[in-house]
Amino acid sequence: MIELLAFTDDAPAPEPPLRALGDGRVRAVCRPAADAQHTPDALWRHEELLERLMEDRGLLPVRYGTVVPDEEAVLRALDERRDELAAGLERVRGAVELALRVQEHDAGAGFTERAASAGAARRLHEALAPLAREAVVQPSRELLRAAYLVDRDAVGAFAARVRELDAAHPELALVCTGPWAPFSFAEAR
Amino acid sequence: MSDTALAQRDIALVDLVDRLIGGGVVIAGDITLSVADIDLVYVNLRALITSVGTLEESRRR
Repeated sequence: MIELLAFTDDAPAPEPPLRALGDGRVRAVCRPAADAQHTPDALWRHEELLERLMEDRGLLPVRYGTVVPDEEAVLRALDERRDELAAGLERVRGAVELALRVQEHDAGAGFTERAASAGAARRLHEALAPLAREAVVQPSRELLRAAYLVDRDAVGAFAARVRELDAAHPELALVCTGPWAPFSFAEAR
Repeated sequence: MSDTALAQRDIALVDLVDRLIGGGVVIAGDITLSVADIDLVYVNLRALITSVGTLEESRRR
């Protein structure tokens, strides 16, 4: 069994036990599947591994826990989606993902306050989206949960804007994390 | 590690788990590992974040 971690563009071979299968412009990075313990540390190691790969190649992360029977299945997945994956790599190359969640500080706020906060959260997103290559609002019970695909060299400017917006909205709790591998931008929309 | 740093790592873990199990390229028709135990971590952390204030660049660094 083989664990499939990411699709990347052509790049130096990754360190064993990682392997890059396929040739040409899209490769599949995989490793022998192990009985995974899904501890927080294991999840961090997974992300750190992807980030190391991202340092010198474009990378589309694969859904965590994707295991296929053999190399042929990996190559079949590559062949079936080669064009789409190449386009995806083009989209994310040189960028990282940042996450933003917005909540109210006062959990007991009434309907009017909550509506006002929801409006403010939407405007936060509208202020940040132009700083990103792509932005997506994700379903959530929070006021806002969004992801931004940001050029590596624009991360500092994005974080500075988040700090400004945070200072301007004492009624809201902003949680901005990252940079992450571009998980929210891996599938074409 | 200070309490704050630990809390920050936990908060960032919520975003990490969101991405690992909700994002990424999905290979149709292939086997996916059970993520039931991850779901459990996820639910526990959801309870935690409601009590947290402002945080930026909260990564574990």
